[in-house]
Amino acid sequence: MKSPIYVSALALMLFAAGCKIDNYPAPDAQLYGTFLDAETNEPVEQDIIRGSTIEYIEHGYASQTKQVMLVKNDGTYRNNLIFANQYTITPVRGNFVPTEPQEVTVAGETQLDFKVQPYIRLKDAKIEKSGSKVIATFKIQQTVINNVRKIGLYAHPEPSVGEPMRTVLSETEINGATDPNKVYKLEIDIPSNSNNLKTGNQYFFRVGAIIDAPESKFNYAKAVRIAL
Amino acid sequence: MKLTKHIFMLLVLLTAISCDNVLDKQPLDKLQGENLFSNPEGVKLYMANLYYQLPIEDFTFFRQGFNWNTGDPNNGGFAPAMITDEAVHTEFGDFIGNDDFQWWDQGYKLIRDTNILIDIIPTLDVSEDETKALVGESAFIRAYAYFALVKRYGGVPLITAVQKYEGDVEALKVPRSTEKETWDFVLKECDIAIANLADSWPGGERRATKWVAYALKSRAALHAASLAKYGDRAPISGTAVDQKLVGLEKSAAAEYYKAAIEASEAIISSGKFALYKPSPASPEEAAENYRKLFEDPNIAPTEAIFIKGYARPGSGTGHNYGIWFQPNQTANGWPHPGRMNPTLDLIDAYESYTNPGQSAPVTTTVAGNDVSDYNGFDPAKNYKRYDDPAGIYKDKDARLWATAILPGTAWKGQKIIIQAGFIKPDGSAQLFGGEPIKVGSATIYPYGAADRTQYSGFDTWGGNNTRTGVSFKKFLNEGVNVAPGWNQTVSDWADFRYAEILLNYAEAIVESGTGTATKGAQALNDIRRRAGHTKDIPLTIDNVIRERRVELAFENKRFWDLIRRREYHTLFNNRVRHALVPVLDLRVTPAKYIFIRQNIARLNPATFDYKNYYRYVPGIGANGLVQNPQY
Repeated sequence: MKSPIYVSALALMLFAAGCKIDNYPAPDAQLYGTFLDAETNEPVEQDIIRGSTIEYIEHGYASQTKQVMLVKNDGTYRNNLIFANQYTITPVRGNFVPTEPQEVTVAGETQLDFKVQPYIRLKDAKIEKSGSKVIATFKIQQTVINNVRKIGLYAHPEPSVGEPMRTVLSETEINGATDPNKVYKLEIDIPSNSNNLKTGNQYFFRVGAIIDAPESKFNYAKAVRIAL
Repeated sequence: MKLTKHIFMLLVLLTAISCDNVLDKQPLDKLQGENLFSNPEGVKLYMANLYYQLPIEDFTFFRQGFNWNTGDPNNGGFAPAMITDEAVHTEFGDFIGNDDFQWWDQGYKLIRDTNILIDIIPTLDVSEDETKALVGESAFIRAYAYFALVKRYGGVPLITAVQKYEGDVEALKVPRSTEKETWDFVLKECDIAIANLADSWPGGERRATKWVAYALKSRAALHAASLAKYGDRAPISGTAVDQKLVGLEKSAAAEYYKAAIEASEAIISSGKFALYKPSPASPEEAAENYRKLFEDPNIAPTEAIFIKGYARPGSGTGHNYGIWFQPNQTANGWPHPGRMNPTLDLIDAYESYTNPGQSAPVTTTVAGNDVSDYNGFDPAKNYKRYDDPAGIYKDKDARLWATAILPGTAWKGQKIIIQAGFIKPDGSAQLFGGEPIKVGSATIYPYGAADRTQYSGFDTWGGNNTRTGVSFKKFLNEGVNVAPGWNQTVSDWADFRYAEILLNYAEAIVESGTGTATKGAQALNDIRRRAGHTKDIPLTIDNVIRERRVELAFENKRFWDLIRRREYHTLFNNRVRHALVPVLDLRVTPAKYIFIRQNIARLNPATFDYKNYYRYVPGIGANGLVQNPQY
């Protein structure tokens, strides 16, 4: 008569123990923000692949494992599934002068914008179709003394166009300092790229420039949509 | 009384049982360590296993690992060349992934097995010569293993004696050494091997000799030197960089180039080695000599410095190049042949005998100024027309003809047909499929023949036909109809051959600006002469690199060349690889062939990320090691 009691007690114990293990709260906080040019307060345009990354380390663990977030084209980022906790957050390998790590408390909706100094600002950028060509003109303002490595005009059917994501490009090597007053001009010939630029379709064009610094990424003006 | 007797009997019984050491029994199906090593034959057996584990990048090396010919060897026919600009796969377009080319657990297993032997050598009752040979061989194997590790991971834990578990896991954890210390260890082990190994083995066994160890040192030192010289082309940051676990100082380049020059020079000046058939009478003869060298490297004992053999067809003792890479027409019943497609990018690199010293991109039009136009067929262009579809490759370097099966050339007694479609008499193009058409009384088929078994190009059926315009030839055996099953190919692999040493030598001289430039130029031009060239070219880095690309194509060198010279991210930045597409032009009678330079169909652009210059270190949670940057 006694054994059924034992068995049910055992079952209850196992059940209780089994429940316990997985009782951690789900990630219930959100972290988001924008990379802003410290001087102009405009978002800093990025590459969607091989763009700037944000490394963050959650406090309270010995392993100090770095996690990463990617930044969107328009310079914003968002993580809707992050644990509420203390973090050390550092934007790294970007298109701006490296910044210091920050200690941040994430809880609920947390907005964290990064004020950065982009290596290069592309000013007065204009991209227009002219005859059988797409012509871009712009000025370059560099914020550091390093050389500007190259400038380019990139085309792709998607708005996240950039140097690593393009089907057609036109680049010029600079490898020197740039004159802020000079108007740079790049052009893409449409007929000689007929495989990738089809008349009647719409494509996105974007100008960019890269500074000669370790692990630097491209700086961009906004992408422009042009119907060919 | 009776009870006492029982107790006594029980005691006797228990004693008897306890004497029978059940738990101390030795397994009957395994050889014991002391027996194995007390017998020279046992040592040989053990050594054979170590050689089997060597990370030789041969026919069974794929991104999944080494010796990929046991168990289920079906990897779809994906070869390392397809991660480079040498080739693409017929069916798949994948590029490099994080888990590709890992070699951590297997590496440390080989190192442990070698350390066991090294610990036991002094206790063996063998002659002094044999001891010396064992010391040399085990150092060679360890150098080979650590070279494979350091080129993948940068600095790694240097474990030089057998580790014993004595209750403390922490005591077994060895931190990573710096990348510099690891390279220096590899070269030091090579030196030990060089000092202890003999010139040759009495029975001609395929085991390490002094010269094989020199060859390894030549290759490893050149790799380290290039990393030091060009590391800043792809700067990376992170803890592993701060602790110098990855990366070399620029100043280290000089000593490594010096080591590469000296090791190569030792082989060159030994007088024991030479190129196979170094002065052919014609390009045709050069092509045939070069082809035969890879069909069976054993015919060239002076060129093949170290050979890995494949003895019998069957699991683990054969490989699968024969089935995967045959053109479709000679598939001999295998359902998925023709999977290695050499790219136009590689074909363009080969020189023309009419203009030595330059890559000779294939010109498809009379104007010839449109080699960078990959937009497909353009009716306004004046295409060059050929009766013979291989005619466009006339005068191209003999090694191209021996490396790739060109359209319209013969292979295994068949004319290999590679055709992507036709230009109709009215001038419109029908490419990559569609119905046959009638021209006069003749029926013209898009792929060049009526039946799927009669052509080898562009039809996507079965994922079988080349999509670059040529098929693969190097290493395939023309005389053998390979059986349509796993591991039926038993051709051997030359891991080190003299031509590579000459190229290492030339590169180290030109890159370091030291050594004797005239000897470097001679090394370069000797290889070219063997390929049917008659005019010498100067020693420049561009000439050496082009020569490496064509001479060592498909020998799994290109991947590491792009890594060590930090050129991968520049070459593979949204890279689209290209095809040379043969098309039948029906606008003229009789019909002739024209060629279109264009992007390879159905293939995504490929981008190489900086972090891929190092592989990730597996298991850092357990082994406590510092991870490589960005993983």
